[in-house]
Amino acid sequence: MNTNSANTDCANVNTNNVIVTRGLKKTYHDNGIPVEAVRGIDFTLTKGEFTAIIGPSGSGKTTFLNLMAGLDSPTDGEVELSGKLISSMSGKELSNYRRDHIGFIFQAYNLFPVLTVEENIEYIMLLQGIHKKERHERVMKILQQVEMEDYAHRLPSKLSGGQQQRVAVARAMVSRPKLIIADEPTANLDSRTSGDLLDMMKKLNEETCMTFLFSTHDEIVMKRARKVVTIRDGLLYNTDKSREE
Amino acid sequence: MFARLILISWRNVMKNRRRTIITGVAIGVGLAAMMFSDALFAGMSTLMIESTTDTWMGDAQIHREGFRETARISLTIQQPLKIDSMLAADTLAVASTGRLISPASLQSAMEMKPVTLMGVNNRTESQISMLETATSTGSYLSGDSMEIIIGYKLAEDMDLVMGDIAVITAAMADSGFSSRMFRISGICKFGSDQYDRYTAFVNIQSAGSLLGLTGELHEIAIRFQNPMIAMDPDLPFQTVFSVHGNKAEVWPVLAPQITSMIKMTSVSLGIQAAILFGLVLFGIVNSLFMSVYERMYEFGVMKAVGTSKRAITSMVLLEAFWLGVAGSLIGALIGFGVNHYFAGVGISFGEVDFSGVMFDKPIYTTVDWSRLWIYPVATLIFTTLAGIYPGIHAGNLNPSEAIRKSL
Repeated sequence: MNTNSANTDCANVNTNNVIVTRGLKKTYHDNGIPVEAVRGIDFTLTKGEFTAIIGPSGSGKTTFLNLMAGLDSPTDGEVELSGKLISSMSGKELSNYRRDHIGFIFQAYNLFPVLTVEENIEYIMLLQGIHKKERHERVMKILQQVEMEDYAHRLPSKLSGGQQQRVAVARAMVSRPKLIIADEPTANLDSRTSGDLLDMMKKLNEETCMTFLFSTHDEIVMKRARKVVTIRDGLLYNTDKSREE
Repeated sequence: MFARLILISWRNVMKNRRRTIITGVAIGVGLAAMMFSDALFAGMSTLMIESTTDTWMGDAQIHREGFRETARISLTIQQPLKIDSMLAADTLAVASTGRLISPASLQSAMEMKPVTLMGVNNRTESQISMLETATSTGSYLSGDSMEIIIGYKLAEDMDLVMGDIAVITAAMADSGFSSRMFRISGICKFGSDQYDRYTAFVNIQSAGSLLGLTGELHEIAIRFQNPMIAMDPDLPFQTVFSVHGNKAEVWPVLAPQITSMIKMTSVSLGIQAAILFGLVLFGIVNSLFMSVYERMYEFGVMKAVGTSKRAITSMVLLEAFWLGVAGSLIGALIGFGVNHYFAGVGISFGEVDFSGVMFDKPIYTTVDWSRLWIYPVATLIFTTLAGIYPGIHAGNLNPSEAIRKSL
């Protein structure tokens, strides 16, 4: 797999900022006790990046991703996606923002169990109001890309964990979002399946220049990420530039 | 999108078949109970009305104004022949009979008892009342002037048997008393003390000559095509026949206690329906909440990828709708099955004497499709509405919390 050349092309084509956070803070109240999960993070992600956020459990990785995804609202600070502030959006605007600009890959079981692979993948396009014919074409194309074209009519329960995550990747990418957020996507997979999945995602990243952001403590993810940042006690630091290619 | 929501909701409901079946059966049993209660109530109402009107009263009666209140024998119907011809021309009335009614005493060789003397037309009376069929010993009136039919309890009390002589004494219309001798020709059993212990039936000519009211009538009892016709408040009958100083009244007016009882039973049925639907409602809400809590992660993901509140609420409502469809179908099948069965065999409650009317026949459930369809439809609507609260709850879930709590 010629990752270097693809990545170089992608990096050269576009260096726009996809997402920027400034002084991002989030404080939870756990039984009345304030818990500062994110304590003022400034972060920028440019188009085509394949970045991993690492950190121990409870370090604030998921909270940080949720804030960027618009799943949570910050206590302070702001999140800007392609020049648009999402931290001040209303509930409906946020919902539309997530639908149109963010692709999600969760830890596990994030496929709708009653929908087939094809129906799962086309779900977001259905929300976007994309025409049936185009939906079908896009589904078939992405299924080929994730090498799952023979499983289009299967229910998630008939797939292995790795296959389910491949479908989840396809679903996250098919609507062509600006950013794909993956919260510990390999947490429930064995190392070989994790490696295969990451290779596939990296290949798609290189082919499409779509931006990927992972949270993980998986070495396999870290090894394949082109950029790794560390989050600890709600603060982002120790950006490892050495992995950037 | 709505079509996809329908599909997802259907598959969600079918995913947990055991729960769907249990919930559907719970809804169905509640619905079947309501349908059975309604059909039983309708059957009971029919029995009450028919027993009331068939025993003696008829579906309507005409009297001289004031007769029912005072029972004065001088208050006979004005222009009875004209009334008779009007009744013959009336399309609602299918039969009628004239009666003379007077307080009297019945005397045997040993003792004397107060009775109500009923002078009846032996040919037309059988079209209105049960007198002919209730005459269990001896024979029905043939027109002979000596004939008298008395109730079996009166016969026992006075130690009278078939063929015995008894004397009726009554006040005459123009003052004075009159007595006449009769021979016991029949003994009847209505099942009600009013007729079995306190009434004596003779031919109307005999009563007329005894009371000095030959050719006169105190009462005309009328049979309609259907007793339910009398329940129409706009029925012209009462206006049309309340002429010449006479007063025409239909059975709901003549037997207000039956009307009240029907109304009371109807209210009870309404309360029962409210309780049953309430229980069903809470059952559905509980089942849907269980389903929502089980699928918190799924709802979290749905919201995360941009599914609107309205779509998620609609999906839960649709799931409630499918449960309603299952419950309504199960309930309708059980309900119609049970109702059809009891419409054939009936349910016997024994013998009940209510206000001079004997309810001794079984109650047959009345399967009235024009009314019973309301229950499955109402169940479907109620069940769907039961999805509103869990649906709104699911729609309002915070996606990050829903996902976090599920992990």
